[in-house]
Parts: sequence; structure tokens; C-alpha cells
Amino acid sequence: MSPVRCSGASRRSWRGAIRWIAQHITQRICGVCPVEHRMASVLAQEMAYQLTPPPNGVLARNLIQAANFIMSHISHFYLLSGLDFVDVAMIADYKGSDPALSALQGWVKGQLASHAVIPAAPFLPRYAAKYLQDADANFAALRHYLDALEMRALAHRIGAIFAGKLPHAATLVPGGITEKVTALKISEYRSGLETLRRFIDNAYLPDVAAVAKAFPEYFKIGKGCGNFMAYGVFPISAGSDAKLLPSGVLLDGKLQPLNEGAITEDVARSRYSSASGRRPAEGETVADANKSGAYSWLKAPRYNGQVMEVGALARVLVAYQDGQNVAIKNAVDALLKSLGREPGDLNSVMGRHAARALECKFIADQCAQWLEAMTPDGVAFKDFSVPESGRGYGLTEAARGALGHWIDISGAKIRNYQCVVPTTWNCSPRDDRGVPGAMEQSLVGLAVADAENPIEAARVIRSFDPCLACAVH
Amino acid sequence: MNSISRRSFLELSAKLCALMGLGAGAIPRMAEAAEELASGNAPVLWLQGQSCSGCSISLLDADAIGPAQLLTRYINLTFHQTLSATTGHQAVETVNKVIGGGGYILVVEGAVPAGMPEACTFGGERFGDQLLRAGRAAKAVVAVGSCASFGGIPGAENNPTGAISSAQYLKNQGVSTPAILIPGCPCHPDWLLGTLTHVLKLGIPPLDELGRPKAFFSRLMHDQCPRFADYEREKFARTFGEEGCLFKLGCLGAITRTDCAMRHWNGGVNSCIRAGAPCTGCGSEQFAAKASLPFITKKRAAQNQA
Repeated sequence: MSPVRCSGASRRSWRGAIRWIAQHITQRICGVCPVEHRMASVLAQEMAYQLTPPPNGVLARNLIQAANFIMSHISHFYLLSGLDFVDVAMIADYKGSDPALSALQGWVKGQLASHAVIPAAPFLPRYAAKYLQDADANFAALRHYLDALEMRALAHRIGAIFAGKLPHAATLVPGGITEKVTALKISEYRSGLETLRRFIDNAYLPDVAAVAKAFPEYFKIGKGCGNFMAYGVFPISAGSDAKLLPSGVLLDGKLQPLNEGAITEDVARSRYSSASGRRPAEGETVADANKSGAYSWLKAPRYNGQVMEVGALARVLVAYQDGQNVAIKNAVDALLKSLGREPGDLNSVMGRHAARALECKFIADQCAQWLEAMTPDGVAFKDFSVPESGRGYGLTEAARGALGHWIDISGAKIRNYQCVVPTTWNCSPRDDRGVPGAMEQSLVGLAVADAENPIEAARVIRSFDPCLACAVH
Repeated sequence: MNSISRRSFLELSAKLCALMGLGAGAIPRMAEAAEELASGNAPVLWLQGQSCSGCSISLLDADAIGPAQLLTRYINLTFHQTLSATTGHQAVETVNKVIGGGGYILVVEGAVPAGMPEACTFGGERFGDQLLRAGRAAKAVVAVGSCASFGGIPGAENNPTGAISSAQYLKNQGVSTPAILIPGCPCHPDWLLGTLTHVLKLGIPPLDELGRPKAFFSRLMHDQCPRFADYEREKFARTFGEEGCLFKLGCLGAITRTDCAMRHWNGGVNSCIRAGAPCTGCGSEQFAAKASLPFITKKRAAQNQA
């Protein structure tokens, strides 16, 4: 986590707008998960408009959102957290013949011998710490880091086939998508998807396993609050309520159905003067930069007053307990067995990385079936009119966790709009009762070997895949 | 740099010249610029203010120059909040070291909360103050994206943080470092890469009256639109998914100067209008500036019944 606190686009900037803009503005809360914000806005509007998109629209939106998940997960493991585990400096000792690694070696050596102000940036400097020591695993992961840069761009490229452009998609609207579904587009997507699936199977999953084996202590480090929540995402088929990754709440290890009405946001320790404990549909956001006792620009969302962890781990654990998707349950069991771990070990730094990689594979595999189910040249959009009044909420998932938008329309204008986003859950400050959020809890009692090089804290924080642009919005 | 051949720089530079619409005569100088960028002689410092990181993500989606090449050959990226391995106090020290050395190209993404400076801080320092220090010591400032260029969504009318564009903030504070604005939400990677290389070897590229490189922002989207013939024939789409010009659905191509319709996005696979989505004017100086600026129009149910 960079030492940054930011207030991004303001909620107030579009309140009262008379044009049809909610999905355009709200997706720009985040450049990493714009598709998911746009989906949440579209779903909230569809509820308010009582609108059901045609099957092609549902499937195309699944494929766009899936492409963005794959982009995000690959980026997170290699680009955002990989350098906390993989040893870039070891490239100096590389003696193999891989052209990409040889080029990297030449570049790093040249940089270190140069007068560059920050040599070998952005890979160096870094904390002094124990990194991956197995040379073969380390060089493989480094090679895959370079490949991952291409793969994440490829994921966006196939997403843009239906999204128009990424990041900040153009086509997802209430009622479906504006883009046409053609046989050529389906083939183009499938071609890129196959390359991504090979990378996930042959690079991403093995690299996560190698890191997990090299850092077994991180199955015991970074334990969160122990409660998990998923809103569910990806309708398995058009017209089906069943989701590839189901919704649910895990309290004390017991699975409960999700109740939207149980979500509230506290602001006792947040820099807002507006009322605390409101449900999002009645939420207010009035900034107070110098509020006494406040230490965060995030609100503190709670579920029945309880702290929740959201994200890939939450989704996988909910799906595991739910048990309806046998493939997910079997894959989790197989992974735990191969690593010699118990289900309880998943509540950890390494458990979060492993869940993300497993989920990435489920989603990529499922895309092939959604492509099959599409009807080339069939309609992908159902028209609608904006009603004089209406309320709705859209619950979906971003790569980093449960995401909800709430809309209240009056006089065909947006009267109120609130978003409760993944990192607001995970990174929330203390609530009105003084209970800290999931990330804060996971840091309490963390042993740091060298205060000048607190790599342990970086590894714990980054395992949540935090996004502060989202969290403040 | 010993393992990267001169030939590979020439190849990449030819691509860049094509991006910028420059003649073949510029290729050798662009190759030198690329080498200089990669060797660390011309460091790039990337700072983020009130931003969504979308322009950073977009840069990584670059196609003409792949992202791996980009990081190790094209840009000596001294610091970037998302990509740098460094973190915590070490990250703060890294940024300060780069600023202390001066002579870098400052790329700034995002707006400045001028009316609520505490709303955006880096290592305890207000972003506006950090930007001032970094802007004064830079060789050139490149404002990437609509927030940094014109204010974008954080700088929308009545915004609660008093946000203004980073470019405007530096100007207001009397910083005289040359500035180039590359709007877009997000900024297209070609626009940024073409501009950076040009700055380095050929100097500041020709700019329009708002400070945007003419190579990318001189022509109206509407004039290059793949649906222009439909407009001429007055064939207008009435709803999404229909053939025809998207003007009546709220398309802002007629007030937006970008080359998206020719260049396309994500390696050329698509773009908004090609995908049936009206242009939202995300590269326009008017994007999100006024609460009344339409993005996409939609009829009210009550009007339909009337």
C-alpha cells in the first residue's frame, strides 16, 4: 500500500444531474475496476426501471467483467504483490538462455552501473528481506512477471471486443450492451481467452504454489476478522438467479443468506459530519476534513454491526461452504492437499493469494461456456425509459470484493446515490463501537523483524488487494 | 543496455514515428530519445493526485510498444505509486531523491483538491505541495488524463474538494516549467508515449491553444467518425444497437477533439462509437465541467406517454 490517502471523484458532483450519466461517472471511481462499478450502477438502475436485459446482453456483460477480473488478478499477483516475494536482484546471477530474462539481466546490470538517480526502477529500491531463494522458481516467476504484463493487456483487449474500450468501458448500459454480438467477435474473444487460460494454468497457479511452499509461515500470518461476505457475481446463464460465485455471509464459520437490509455505514472515526449508522439507501456524505478523532476518509461499513472481510477469499469460502459448485469445492480441497494445509489456513496472506488464483481459473474456464451460449447477431439490448421515481440497488463483485451501488430517482433525476465498495469494507477505520476493520485487525500483533524494513506489513496489506481510489470515491 | 541492440530501438522508434504522424527522417532521433529514456539519462517521475489510476492502467495496455519493453527500454520510471516495488517511508525517500536530482519529466495523473488540501496526501504531505516541489524541479510537466489536464470528474462543477486540474494548479502558483496536456478518460497510451519521446529528442511537440499535442488533438472526432456518412444522410440511430449516427443518443463527437475514431483502443480492437456507444467527450476540455453537460440523453417515461 502506498502511503497515500486520496479523495477521488465526489459523490456530490453528479447528485441532481438531469442526464443519464450514473454509469459513466461512477465507473470512473476506479481505473482498475471500472467495469464492476459500471455493472453495479447498471444493476441498480435495472432494478429501479424494472428492466431485464436479453440473454446476449447478460452474457456479454459477464465476458467483459470476467476479462477485467482476469486482468486484475494477474496484475495483482505479479505487478502489485509479486515483488514482495520474487527476488529481482537475483537476475544478476542468471546463466540461462531465455531471451527475455537475458535482456532483463542486461538492463538491470546496465542500470546498476549507470548514474541513474534510481537504478533499476520501478523494481528497485525495495525492502531488505528474505525473498524467494529457489533459483528455478524465482527465474520462472520473473519470466512470468514479464509475460504477465502482456497477459493483463491481452485480457483488456478481449474485454474491449464487447466493452468498446478499457479501462472505462463504453458499452455496458441498463438493458444490456450497445455493442453487437457477432460470430467474429465471439471467435476473437475465444482466441485471446485460450492464451490467457494457458497462462493461468501453466504460470499463475504454479507460481502461487511455489511462493506458498517457500513462505509457509504466511499461512499463519495476516489472519483477518474471520467473518466473510460475498454479494455473488456472474449469472451462470442468462435468466438464471444462480451465480458462478454465490452470495452469502460466513459468521463464525456458518453460512447465512445475504440480507441487503443489514448493511450500514458508521462514520464515528471517518472525516464526515453526516449521520452515522445509516443504510446506504438513506446515506449521506458531508466531508469534514478536520473532524476530531477521525483518522480516515473511509466510512466503516458493517453487516448487522459486524466487521466483514470481502474479496476473492470470501467468495471462494462462501462457494466452498455453499457446496453447489462441486468444481470449486474439489479444486480448493485439491489445492489444500497439495500444500498440506487445512481449510482454516486459508484465512491468511497466502490463503488470499491462493483463492485469487483458483478463482481466476474458474472464471476463465467459465467464459468458454458463456461464449458458446451467445447467439450471433441476436439482440443484446432492451430499450427503456427513465421513470419519474424509483429505487434500486446493484450488488456485484469487483476483483477486490463485494461492491454495491444504491440509487434513488425522483422527478426523473437522481436524488441520492451511494456506493459501498470493497476496500471500504476491508480497510475501514473503527466503527461507532470502536471495533477496527478487517485490515486493521490483521495487523494487530503482527511481528515485524526489522522496523526499518517492515516487509511483513506490506505483505499483509497487499494480500487484501486494497484500492484506495475505490475506498474513498 | 548492452543486450538491447540499436536495431531494436530503431524498430520501436519507427512505430513511434508512425504513432506521431512523423516522417521517416525523424526515426534516428526518436531512437536516440528512446535510448536516452531507457538509460536513465531522462528519468520519469509519475505522481498521482485525485485520480482513479485509470491512466496508469491504460498505459499498461499499450500495444505499439509492449508494457515489458516500456518499463525496461522506454521509460526510466523512477517512481510510480502502483508499479514501484518500493513502499512506505522508502517510497517517500525515493520521490524526494528524484525531486532533489531535478531534470526529470514529471508525469502527473489526477487533480488537486485546492479547496480541501487535506483530502489528498502522500506520506503526510499535501499533494498540492508535493506537486509544486516536483513541478518546479522538472524539465517538463506532462499532465496525463482529463483530471490532470482540465479537472475531469473530481473538478466537476460544485465538487466538494474544490478540485482543479494539476496543470491549472501549477499555473496558478506561478510555476513556469513547460506543460503539455494529454486529456482523455483515460489517456490513450499512444498519446502519452508519442509525446514523451517527442519531448525528449525533438523538444516540446506542436501544441494547440489549450496545450494539447496537435498530432492527436487537432481534429474533431465527428470529422473522422466511422458513422459520418450516416450523419450526412441523416440516418440516426433511435436506440442502442441500431445502425446510424449516434448524435440523437447524445454523442459528443461534434465537440470533442481526439483521434479515437481513427486510432481505436486496446490494440485497435474497438472504440466507443464503433461499439455503438455515443462519445462521452472524455477527452474534451468540457468533460464533466458543468453539471448540465450531457453525457448521454435518455427520454423520461412521462414524456413517452405524453
